[in-house]
Amino acid sequence: MKATIAQYYAGDSLLHRLDPRAKFVAVSALAVALFVRDSFAGLAVYAAAAVLAYALSGVPFAWFWRAFRPLLWLVGLTFVAQVVFAPGTPFFSLWFIHVSWRGLELATYLSLRLVVLVLVGSVLTLTTPSIALTDGLAWLGRPLRRLRVPTDELALMVTIALRFIPTLFVELDTIMRAQRARGADFRRGGLRERTRSLVPVLVPLFVLSFRRADELALAMEARCYRPGALRTRLHPLRAHWSDVVLLVATAAVIAAGLLV
Amino acid sequence: MSGREAVAGAVPGRPRAPGAPGAAGMSLACGDVSFSYEEARAPIRALRDVSFELRAGGSLALIGASGSGKSTLLQVIRGLDAPERGAVRLDGAGPADAGYAALQREVGLVFQAPELQLFAATARDDVAFGPRRLGWPEAQVTSAVDTALDVVGLPPARFAERHPYALSGGEQRRLALAGVLAMRPRLLLLDEPFVSLDPGTRRQLVGVLERLKAAGVTLLLATHDVDLAWALCDELLVLGEGRVLAAGPWDFSTAGGRLLAANRLREPFFVELWRRLGRDPQRAPRSAAEAAEALS
Amino acid sequence: MPLFDISGLHYRYAGAQADALADLDLEVHEGEFVAVVGANGSGKSTLARLIGGLEKPAAARRALACGHDLLVEGGRMAARRDVGVLFQNPENQLVAQCVEDDVAFGLENLAWPAADMGRRVDEMLARFGLEELRRREPHMLSGGQKQRTALAGVIAIPRRVLVLDEPTAMLDPAGREEVLAAVRELRGEGLAIVYITQEMDETVGADRVVALERGTEVYAGDAGGLFADAALVRRLGLGLPAAGELALALAERGRDLPGLPLTMDELLDALGGAT
Repeated sequence: MKATIAQYYAGDSLLHRLDPRAKFVAVSALAVALFVRDSFAGLAVYAAAAVLAYALSGVPFAWFWRAFRPLLWLVGLTFVAQVVFAPGTPFFSLWFIHVSWRGLELATYLSLRLVVLVLVGSVLTLTTPSIALTDGLAWLGRPLRRLRVPTDELALMVTIALRFIPTLFVELDTIMRAQRARGADFRRGGLRERTRSLVPVLVPLFVLSFRRADELALAMEARCYRPGALRTRLHPLRAHWSDVVLLVATAAVIAAGLLV
Repeated sequence: MSGREAVAGAVPGRPRAPGAPGAAGMSLACGDVSFSYEEARAPIRALRDVSFELRAGGSLALIGASGSGKSTLLQVIRGLDAPERGAVRLDGAGPADAGYAALQREVGLVFQAPELQLFAATARDDVAFGPRRLGWPEAQVTSAVDTALDVVGLPPARFAERHPYALSGGEQRRLALAGVLAMRPRLLLLDEPFVSLDPGTRRQLVGVLERLKAAGVTLLLATHDVDLAWALCDELLVLGEGRVLAAGPWDFSTAGGRLLAANRLREPFFVELWRRLGRDPQRAPRSAAEAAEALS
Repeated sequence: MPLFDISGLHYRYAGAQADALADLDLEVHEGEFVAVVGANGSGKSTLARLIGGLEKPAAARRALACGHDLLVEGGRMAARRDVGVLFQNPENQLVAQCVEDDVAFGLENLAWPAADMGRRVDEMLARFGLEELRRREPHMLSGGQKQRTALAGVIAIPRRVLVLDEPTAMLDPAGREEVLAAVRELRGEGLAIVYITQEMDETVGADRVVALERGTEVYAGDAGGLFADAALVRRLGLGLPAAGELALALAERGRDLPGLPLTMDELLDALGGAT
C-alpha cells in the first residue's frame, strides 16, 4: 500500500517509544500555538523543533516525502490564493491579479505555516501505530464518559474498522473483477451511468459487511466481550519520564515560539 | 429441454451447424504468458512463461497450491488483465486479431466464492445481468436466464423471483454459476468452485459440470483437489510459483507417478484403488458409480 | 457433573415456519469427543450458539452448560466463559490488528492483568505455532493461519469444553490439516470437544456421534453404528470420503459391504483384497 500521510513507519527510535498520549498532547499544543501568533521567527522555532523530532525518529526522508508530495499542490494553491486576494498596494498587476509585497509576505507565511503544520502532525502519525493512537485517544477522552459518550467502545470500533480496511479493499477488487467478467464496465458513460454501474459492486459489499458484523459480534461475545465492561490491555499505556520530558520540552518550544 | 441441449444452444451472432469446428467449445492456447503486479514496492511475478494448449471441448485441471498463480492465470485468460509478455489465443485468434474482444466475451469466469457477486433483487435479474450487458434482445435474455437456471438445478418456476440473499449457500453458489452460464460461454473457467460447499451441492455441481462437458464446452478447472480434477478433467496442468511444472494428459506410468510425487500430488483415489486391486491404473474409473459398475 | 446436560431443547427463528431445533437432548462429559453431524438446515449451528450461551433457548426441560443455566441471562453469560466456540469463517472472528492482540482479546475482556495475559498469550502462540506471526496483520494470513489464530484466541481463555462449528469448511486442504492437527492435540490433552461437521471423515475417532436432521436427533450412539447405516448416512446428505461413496454405490448395485469403510485400507479389507 502506498504511503499515505498517516502511514506508520515501524521503528524503535526515541519518538516511537514515547507514550501516544503525550505525543498527541504535544502535537496538538504545537498545532494550536502555530495559529496563536503570526511571526516568521516563531515559525522558524517550530519548524526547527519539528525537524529535530524528525531526526530523532529515524523515519527516512523518502518515506515522508512520498506521502507529503501530493500535498504540495495544496501549499501551492494557498500561496497563489493569498498572493491574488491579499490586501496591500500592488507593485505588479496582470489583469485582475495584483501582487503586493504584503501579499507575497502573507502568502509565504501561510504556506510555510501549512508545511510546518503537516510536519508537526506527521511526527505523530509516522511514529505511532494506529492502535496505540486509538488507545491514547480513548484514554484522553475518558472524561467524556461522564457525558455518556462510549469512548472505549468507539475506540474498539475504530480498531476493528482499521483492521478490516485492507480486507475490504481486496474484497472490493474481487467483486469488481467478478462483475467485469460478466461484462460490467465501470469507466463508461457520464456521471449517472457510472454511479449506477457501481450498484453491482456496492450492494454485495454492503451485504458482506453486514453479515460480517453479525458473525464478528457473535465471535466477540463468545470471547466474553461485553460493551461497558472493564477491559484491560495486553500492552497497557505506561507513561515514563521521557514523556514528561517531551511535554516540558514542548512547553518550552511553544514559549520560545511565542516570545521570539 | 435437457441440460445438454440447453447448454449447446445458439451463440448470438455465430450461426453454427452442429459438429462444426468450434460449435460448442473454444480452443485455448497460452504462449509464454507472463504477468506481475506491484505489492508493497516489490513486484510479484505471478506468472512466468506459462505455455499450454487446450483443445476445443477439452477439460483441463489447473492444479497448484495457494499462491501458485491459478487465479491470476484464469483472470488473464479471461482478459481482465493483459499479460506482460506472451499471448492468450482463443480459437486461434490473438489479441491483435479482429474479433478477439468478441471471443473474450465468450469466455466465462466463475470466481472463488462467486456468491460475492450477487446483487440484484431477484434471481432472474441477477442472472440476466451478464446477458443484458452483452446487448442481447430481452427475449433472448429471458431464454438464456431460464435455461441457465435449469442447468444449475434452480428451476425458474420456483427460483426466478426469489431474492438471492434468501437462498441457501449452495443455492447462491449455483445462482452465481447460472449468471455466468447465461452468457453462453464456450470456454468456462472455474476458480475453485467446490470450496466451502456442502456435500449435497458438491455432488450436484459435479453433475452440472459433467453435463456442460458433454455438451462440448471447454472446461478449465482450477482446484487443489486431485480427486475432483480426476473426476472432471482429461488433462492437467500443475502450476508452482507461477511456472508450469507439468502439463498433459494424466500419466500413471512410473515416470508420471514420479512427476506427481515430485509435485506433492497424490494419485487420485480411484487410480490408487485400481493399482492396489491389480488393475491398470490408467483405466481407473472417474466416479464412484463407474467404479461400482466395474466391480459388480 | 456433565459438561452439557441438556434435555428438550427448542429453538425457532423469528418468522420461521419450522423449529430450528426441536426437543433435543445432549449430554457431554469430561474428556469426551462428541461429533454432531447434519446437513445444512439441520440445526447444528443453532445448537452451537445455544450451548455456547450466545442465544437464548426458546424452551428446554433442562439446559445446563458447565452447571450454568442457559435459560437465564446470567447463566448464559457465565457459560460463555467455560464454553469456547470456534466458528466457520476465519475472517469474521479476528478483531485485532495483529495476531498477538487478537489472541489476547478474550483475556482483555475478562480484565486479566497485563503480565498474566502476556504469559498466557505467549503460551498460546507457541502451542499453535504462531510465534513467528505474532505481529502479523490478519489480512496477511492464510486461511489455516487465521483459523489457528482464532482457535488460539478462543482457548486463551481456559475452557472446560470446546465447541467447533464446521471449523474447516472454508479452508483449503493444507489449512484443514493444520486445524485438525490442533484439535487432535487439544483432544489429546483431555479437553472435552463437541465437533460439528458435515464430513463423515472428521468424525473418525469420536466417542459418540449425534446426527441431526431438520432440528431433531435421528441418531445418537457410537460412530460405528452410524457408519454401518449406509441408508441413513445417504439420507442425511453427509459428505463421504471416496471409499464411503464407493461402498454406497456398490450397495445400490446389490453388493453390500460390512460397515461403511472410510479409508482405502478399510475398503480393500471389505472388498476382500484383490478382485
